[in-house]
Amino acid sequence: MTEGAPSAAPVLRSSRQVLGVLSVTKAFRRGPPWRRRTVPVLRGASLHVDAGELVGLVGENGSGKSTLMQIIVGLMGRDGGTVDRPPRLGYCPQLPLLWDKLTVAEHFELFAQAYGLDPAAARASRDALLEELRFGKYLGYRVEALSGGTRQKLNLALALLHQPQLLLLDEPYSGFDWETYLRFWEMAEQRRRDGMGILIVSHMLSERERLTRVYELRQGRCEIG
Amino acid sequence: MTRTATFAREQLRTPFTLVLLVAVPAFFVAATAGVLSDFARALGGGLAGDAAAALAAGWSAAFVSGTLGFFQATSSRGADRRLALAGAGAGRVAAARITASLALAVVAAGAGFVALLIRQGVVHPWHAGAAVLAFALIYLAVGILIGAVISGPLEGSLAVAFVFLLDVFSGPGMAPHAAFYSVSRKAADVLISAATGQSSPASDWFALGAVVAVALSSSFAAFAYSARSRG
Repeated sequence: MTEGAPSAAPVLRSSRQVLGVLSVTKAFRRGPPWRRRTVPVLRGASLHVDAGELVGLVGENGSGKSTLMQIIVGLMGRDGGTVDRPPRLGYCPQLPLLWDKLTVAEHFELFAQAYGLDPAAARASRDALLEELRFGKYLGYRVEALSGGTRQKLNLALALLHQPQLLLLDEPYSGFDWETYLRFWEMAEQRRRDGMGILIVSHMLSERERLTRVYELRQGRCEIG
Repeated sequence: MTRTATFAREQLRTPFTLVLLVAVPAFFVAATAGVLSDFARALGGGLAGDAAAALAAGWSAAFVSGTLGFFQATSSRGADRRLALAGAGAGRVAAARITASLALAVVAAGAGFVALLIRQGVVHPWHAGAAVLAFALIYLAVGILIGAVISGPLEGSLAVAFVFLLDVFSGPGMAPHAAFYSVSRKAADVLISAATGQSSPASDWFALGAVVAVALSSSFAAFAYSARSRG
């Protein structure tokens, strides 16, 4: 277990807070047992996101952004620190986690069941997302037949299907064409205005003016950039 | 549509998988039963005639199911975990995966069993059918368990093949005395008895049921463990 020092970035606790990450540490063990070494990646990372905020998390390749995101979501365990997250969260992973042999419609169906949506609400939300991201004509297509950009649209739409309180986006627009990229930011801003808390992880954020706050992950800690 | 049906459909959409499920057991039983007797004698075992063909059906169903189980566990792991975290729960996703895999194992076992019936007929067909199915279920679990710890397709396939070969060459019929690590030895005992017109004692059936139950429970636990939330 690795214990890191608390981050310089403050963690505010308020009634509007939808994500609180406090002093999270994580180290990976590398090499065979007789030459095992520990590589610390997160050394006390802290950040927070309030409802209605659009927050960025940037950092160089290998700085630990995706590791932190996976810890926040619950895909990876942490060595130390705390993570407070709401029960209704949406997660859009960096690489689309989809089933190649299932259709777009079947993906929506599986996730609607998982989110506990009733069929009518699920259909309404699905149709709105298909319209918003303009990929309704692919509803009956299997994922293996979709382009990289359309897979990414589905990846994003599945995270938004249940209108989460907190939306976690890991490099969400890779593979998007320019028009879809612009539409993505419009969608993000609209949801932020509606009260959703959004955390966007990217190695490069060129739309900083749209963001409430940007954290930079440097040497395992989050600093407000 | 239920989660299980969707997962089963996912597997059935790979036409080559379907062909393998049916063709491998059928071809193996038809083509290799005679050779297996010679091979067993060379190893010091007593496998011969009808018993050889019956074991060929069990082994072929086992190998196909083991390989399928491995790819079930590895190919969809990321998406399954995402679904579990979205609210489906690790246990329910694991249950759906295992149930969908069971359907495929039943198809593989059915193909081997039908090929066996066509080739030579069996004195106790229900016993033989149950034993071939047990082979498929045990190896389905072996494949899933290997998939839980090895993610590379080459390494995982080799691991399934290694367990299978070790099992075959140390099991009843092939070795003078079945080794304790032969995971399918109880299924083989029941299958050989059924093919040679003998009834298996109740203790063999109980032992076989226990092995299958442990195998399936372990594979469920492995699936659920890999899909669980951390933190």
